[in-house]
Amino acid sequence: MSSSERDAGTAGAPLIDGRHVRAVARLARIRLDEDEMQLLERDLARILGYFEELQAVDTSDVEPMVHATGGPTPMRADEVAPGLGVVAAVANGPAVQDGAFVVPKVIGGA
Amino acid sequence: MSEANSKTTVAAEALDRLDLSGCAAAIADGSLTSEAITAAVLARIEARNSALGAMLHVDADGAISRARDIDARRQRGETLGPLGGVPLTIKDMISVVGMPLTAASRILSGYRPPYDATVVARLRAAGAVLVGKTNQDEFAMGSANETSAMGPARNPWAIDRVPGGSSGGSAVAVASGMGFGSLGTDTGGSIRLPASFCGVVGLKPTYGRVSRYGVVAYASSLDQVGPFGRSVADVARLLAVIAGRCDRDSTSADQPVADYHASLAQDVAGLRVGVPREYLADADGLDATIKKRIETTCELLADRGATIVQIRLPHTRQSIAAYYLIATAEASANLARYDGVRFGHRTSTGGALDGLYERSRGEGFGVEVKRRILLGTFALSSGYYDAWYDKACRVRRLIHDDFLAALQQCDVLIGPTSPVPPWKLGEMTDDPVATYLMDVFTTGANLAGLPALCVPLQPADDGLPVGLQLIGRHFDEATLLRVGHVCNRENGAHLLRPPAPEVVP
Repeated sequence: MSSSERDAGTAGAPLIDGRHVRAVARLARIRLDEDEMQLLERDLARILGYFEELQAVDTSDVEPMVHATGGPTPMRADEVAPGLGVVAAVANGPAVQDGAFVVPKVIGGA
Repeated sequence: MSEANSKTTVAAEALDRLDLSGCAAAIADGSLTSEAITAAVLARIEARNSALGAMLHVDADGAISRARDIDARRQRGETLGPLGGVPLTIKDMISVVGMPLTAASRILSGYRPPYDATVVARLRAAGAVLVGKTNQDEFAMGSANETSAMGPARNPWAIDRVPGGSSGGSAVAVASGMGFGSLGTDTGGSIRLPASFCGVVGLKPTYGRVSRYGVVAYASSLDQVGPFGRSVADVARLLAVIAGRCDRDSTSADQPVADYHASLAQDVAGLRVGVPREYLADADGLDATIKKRIETTCELLADRGATIVQIRLPHTRQSIAAYYLIATAEASANLARYDGVRFGHRTSTGGALDGLYERSRGEGFGVEVKRRILLGTFALSSGYYDAWYDKACRVRRLIHDDFLAALQQCDVLIGPTSPVPPWKLGEMTDDPVATYLMDVFTTGANLAGLPALCVPLQPADDGLPVGLQLIGRHFDEATLLRVGHVCNRENGAHLLRPPAPEVVP
């Protein structure tokens, strides 16, 4: 058994629980309220329970396919071309000052 | 009757009678003005959109002024482009300068794209009049257009039923005369499913056939932009305009664009048409009427000289799990950009930078988007990557190889688009797995990068549309259009128009 198969949750352990959902929400930087947390825990457990059928497929000799097309990404010449310009680039910013996006202070405390 | 009134009547009548090609021809020969037909489209939206919810934004002034400009050009003797003066709509995933873009999400409220998507620039260059933006599932995440933060779109054939998703608004608009065509996006069936549910034609081109520059990214190894039309001929015309290499999208293919219009003139004699057992004979829970309509179509194609070949796609069932793991993993990365800093919704509550991210995203995303981002983040996370994401990518390879083997035995695959007719609004919202299962016949083409076309068949006895799906070889859209055009000609289902909705339910 590979480490991946152990991770998938054998021996009846739940495939995902509240602790996982909290950790994943934190990784994804999404704040969830308690109701959403419970709903998503239930849904993700159901979804993964269904998706577990993938584990029955023998893929030991199969290369993962991560791109829809083969071949290398084409390169282009490294040439300067006109861009959006600062005014257009920041026009959609929710808080903008002097052509820059304003964010909360991240160094030295608030 | 005054001249102006008679023009209005002519245009309103043309709206239901003509297809896109007919509309372009009438504008080019002067029997119809772009302004009159555009005004008729705007009046149709005004009359029906409150019941159908197809449009999220309408640019009435911009559309009329553009239509007048096209009419003036014609009067000066200029030759109009292939879409000269024809009113079209655009899914709200696609950037159009002068119109907001929301992807049907609160997190993009107020966003106005600073540039046109390449496909939009190509439509403009071909003379199209862009009328507005269509409703969809939030970030294209849904199969019924019910996850839109702006409210659902409704099926014009049965107002209590879903129009399919995610490009539901585009399909409703085309079916209802809110324009003569539309562009949608298809990551796991989002063009074909709504086309099937609304009785219109929808094409997901080969991965890389159409530029995605300026299009909101959902799952980048699967996403493709494609056209909706009333007829296969309309879809061929739109594809000819939008297909081709784009320097701003490195995944767009440097492959020659076929003469799609010429392919419509060919019959199906000598074509080998493959019927996957898993799509028809062995399909679990396939609606009996849908099955019968597909079988009738196979008989029709055989009568016209095609050879029907039985083939196998043994990993059809697993395509749902593989698709949802890969799509959500890619989405979790693509949607990281919505952080409340550079555009879109920013929380009004204070806090440090991480709190700003978490609150802006928590407030801005709807529950289906959260579900998918979390699923994808989990599938990619340390300790679970091998069991879920990597496993799904391996199964994807098997699915891809199944299709390539099948397409060596035949020229085109045939089957249903959806296993069931359009369901009632709210019927499936509590059960995400049940909804995901509806994508069993559509996700395969995305995983394998193949082109796939949905064409209407004769509706069911209760009047609900039935859709046929054709899947072809990479970059062989021409064969799909050729077979689809024969279906249009033989069954005439694309000529049916839904009645005006009576009341807002």
